[in-house]
Amino acid sequence: MHEFSLASEVMSIALNEAEKHNAIWVSEITIEVGSLSGVEADAFESALSLLAEGSIVEKSGIKILRINGMGFCDGCNAEFEMTQRMEFCPECNSFPSVIKGGNEFRLTSLVIEEQ
Amino acid sequence: MCDTCGCGENDGLKIHGPLSNHKHSDSEAHDHDHIHEHEHEHEHEHPHSHTHPHTHSPEGNSDDEHDHEHEHYQKKTLNLNLDILSRNNLTAEMNRRFFEGRKVLCLNLVSSPGSGKTTILEKTIKYLKATRKLYVIEGDQQTLLDADRIDKAGAPAVQINTGSGCHLDANMIDKATRKLDPDTNSVLFIENVGNLVCPAMFDLGEFKRVVVISVTEGDDKPLKYPYMFQSSQLCIINKSDLLPYVDFSIEETIKHARLINHELEFIEVSAKTDEGMESWFQWITQQEESFATKKGYEKS
Repeated sequence: MHEFSLASEVMSIALNEAEKHNAIWVSEITIEVGSLSGVEADAFESALSLLAEGSIVEKSGIKILRINGMGFCDGCNAEFEMTQRMEFCPECNSFPSVIKGGNEFRLTSLVIEEQ
Repeated sequence: MCDTCGCGENDGLKIHGPLSNHKHSDSEAHDHDHIHEHEHEHEHEHPHSHTHPHTHSPEGNSDDEHDHEHEHYQKKTLNLNLDILSRNNLTAEMNRRFFEGRKVLCLNLVSSPGSGKTTILEKTIKYLKATRKLYVIEGDQQTLLDADRIDKAGAPAVQINTGSGCHLDANMIDKATRKLDPDTNSVLFIENVGNLVCPAMFDLGEFKRVVVISVTEGDDKPLKYPYMFQSSQLCIINKSDLLPYVDFSIEETIKHARLINHELEFIEVSAKTDEGMESWFQWITQQEESFATKKGYEKS
């Protein structure tokens, strides 16, 4: 459910930036969503499309870049993919692992059309 | 629509109270501080109608997916690389500095619905109000029921109704805190919307986050909702009086929660019988001390 408020946050950032640059349209929104970020990417995308209706973001393409979770083991320096937040090191079985990637939830770029 | 005067508002968000005066001078019955979140809704139709001759090179527009009649506009990429929660986090940080300056210990209570947060708060107020100034911000989708209970227990309470919203955010806490105007050297409890998912992502500016779980829930809850247990510093296990009747293992819960957050502290209580509540009060006292010296201030 929080995807809806996150999407409205993205809308307000996009509209703000568009206004700053006197943009007529926002034609592309690129967002990074890490698999461990706690954001459900599909729900977020639907919420954003819904909120964009009737605004200058309406026709924007929404690009979601999904980022895999990456873990790092303090014990043996192994790096490995993480599918959930708590995982044992696959090399030496130590715990907990440091999350090195997958927490991202960022608005990376906007493409705007200006006069 | 606001049912007091019919003003429109976004998402049904309302902030009510404080219900009684409790030495507060502002006893207005009709206070209008709903958060109208319409900062960015103005859609000016920028009347920039400069008619300069168009000499832009067309290659930038050749891949224009939507062929409106404005294909002569220039495309521009803005590389923002912005954390989407950054505005919430900034407001939370401002709340945190306010609480620090005002010396208000702020604790954010989160849990699934029905774990007993309000009962714990009622009991806490009854026991601690003689020695401390206590305030409560209540978050629920609808109704003033919880704020009413807190008010009867003897602490000023502001109720935030989130309407369709599933969590409180830092901006709501900012607005509610202004209405509450807590005295210095006090404790402010935030009772978040009952939900183990969404409130985890939203820093409110609290000093510590307290997750409440009751023994009528499953002891695998920490594994199912890791974000909440990871972002909390204390776990209260409530309704301990019901332990003989349910298949709930305190040991398993602690084991599961520690897998996610090995620094999490635990207190077992029954808000109904008061068993264990003393430990919770002692924990609050410890937090007051570390807050005063700003030990452990780093939020996790």
